[in-house]
Amino acid sequence: MDSSHRRPGAIRSVRPVSLALLLVPLTTFGYVSGFSYGMGAAIAVAAVALGAGLRATGRRSLSPYAPVPVLLALAAFAVHAPVGLGFEFLAGLSALAFLVWLADDPARPQRGALRSLPTVAVPALALAIAWSSALFLPAGAVPLGVAGGLLALTLALVAFLVGRPTLFDREEA
Amino acid sequence: MSASSPLPLRWRPLAVLLLVAGAALLFVAVVTRDPTPLFVALPLLLAPVAAALAGPRGGPKVQITLAVEGAAAEVRVRGAIVPEPGVDAQDFVVELGRPPSLIGEAAPRFDATASQIDFRADWRAPEPTIAEIPVPDVIWRDPLGLVERETVSSAAPVVISRYPPELLRIGAVRLERTTPLPGETRSRRVGESGEFHGIRLARPGDPPRQINWRATARAGRTLANEYDLDKTGDLLILLDARPTPLGPSVDERLFSIARAAAVGLSESFLRVKARVGVGVFGEFLEVVPLSTGRTQRVRIEAMLRAAHLSTVHAPAERCAVSARRHFPPGLTTVVFSSMADELSEDLSPYLRRRGFPVVVVSPSPLPIVAAASRLESADEALASRIVRLVRRDRIAQAWQEAPAIDWDDYWSLGKFVEFVRRPRVRRVG
Repeated sequence: MDSSHRRPGAIRSVRPVSLALLLVPLTTFGYVSGFSYGMGAAIAVAAVALGAGLRATGRRSLSPYAPVPVLLALAAFAVHAPVGLGFEFLAGLSALAFLVWLADDPARPQRGALRSLPTVAVPALALAIAWSSALFLPAGAVPLGVAGGLLALTLALVAFLVGRPTLFDREEA
Repeated sequence: MSASSPLPLRWRPLAVLLLVAGAALLFVAVVTRDPTPLFVALPLLLAPVAAALAGPRGGPKVQITLAVEGAAAEVRVRGAIVPEPGVDAQDFVVELGRPPSLIGEAAPRFDATASQIDFRADWRAPEPTIAEIPVPDVIWRDPLGLVERETVSSAAPVVISRYPPELLRIGAVRLERTTPLPGETRSRRVGESGEFHGIRLARPGDPPRQINWRATARAGRTLANEYDLDKTGDLLILLDARPTPLGPSVDERLFSIARAAAVGLSESFLRVKARVGVGVFGEFLEVVPLSTGRTQRVRIEAMLRAAHLSTVHAPAERCAVSARRHFPPGLTTVVFSSMADELSEDLSPYLRRRGFPVVVVSPSPLPIVAAASRLESADEALASRIVRLVRRDRIAQAWQEAPAIDWDDYWSLGKFVEFVRRPRVRRVG
């Protein structure tokens, strides 16, 4: 709330550390994702600049849309990128950097990225397991089937939990 | 908590966006048999669930302190929010609403540390007012902004009343007594309230604090102390809440000013243990009957805070008849009326005919109307002079029935205080 006392609409800090953390992997991912003439990198830079700009405006009507351009760029690169362990690693890293950038919202107290580590650690761990599996397990139909089944199960579990938010509540003693 | 928990976890729009994007990428990955989108989808799908699991598992309890400082037009709100152990105060999103009758910075200043959030807001009351400073809305939100929970607190809003400072000492004025036996009356208050008068036999219902235990031991029978209060008199405050041709917005502001002055007047007289009653006349007369003490102060304040303007112009005779039913005749009566038109001047004659000696305090609409005027400077000066003359004539007309005080400087009621200290009859015509 250090910045809540600012005049509504005043320009806010873009929080450069988390911005750089997002920009570097996303630009790299964009560059290697197969877009010709370095268009991927340009898209990444433009998306991050737009997202940071929307956040920095401090307008309540605009700042909630700040994640959208970054998310769109991330999705576009993921769909366009060729198959390969390096690309998968970069995709996962960019998604994690995106989460860290989300946590460092200039409308909220500083060190949001640090406070979000317990939350970001869970997907990071899942990514590490997924990437290790892709690296060490032999290629074939069976591991792919197992991985697909696990992902489908995860999705069903997420949908179930999202539908019942009270499951996260604890009974009062 | 059960499914009927009043403070459940709430998913924020960003969480929905991430889940939708994650699901879409997962679908693309399966359709195109490309694992890369899966590596983007996985964090997006897991982050909201992780955020819900990492946060508090129920509405976190917070201790909110709220204090208001300042006098007259200044309203300085100070407070602190302290969460229960294990919850980071920096994860709270706090919103403090400014009452519409106050002006100043829209967003309060917050200083957040891990253990507490201090907040302060410097507002100003442009004119006398009674307003309720609400308890800040405190919401726990995870650092990513994906999920949130309402917090639990037992803090209560703070009511502020800002009125002209002259009213603080107006209670020293001696009021007309309306009790059959004026003078000292027996204190009904518990304990040593008032002057010690004597010792009498204890009666059933006497509180233990009133028993004189030494005298009881000496006499061998239960004796109680008796205290007297010097009762200064009774006061009726009457507010005219009928509509005028000035329009609802000006009427509302004038009524708000009158309500604040009424609170100040009642507080001042209740402080010297006078009995005060209040009536608000809109379509009908709503009253707080004559009484004294701290409870009466709260009662009057609550009634005035809830009072609102009527949409119907009711006849003044109805007010007078109703006042006579609730209050004894001879009661010193202060009427707050804008007297913006001829119809609103008729309250004092009817009240006088029913036996109420009336003093009219009339909050002038001229400062409000002049501030909203769009005329050029020359026209403005002429228009201002004309309306001032009309106003002066109306006040002079009102003086024929009862003393009428024109209240044009809202932060000063010096003219009224001067009048009630040294009442004089004004000769008109």
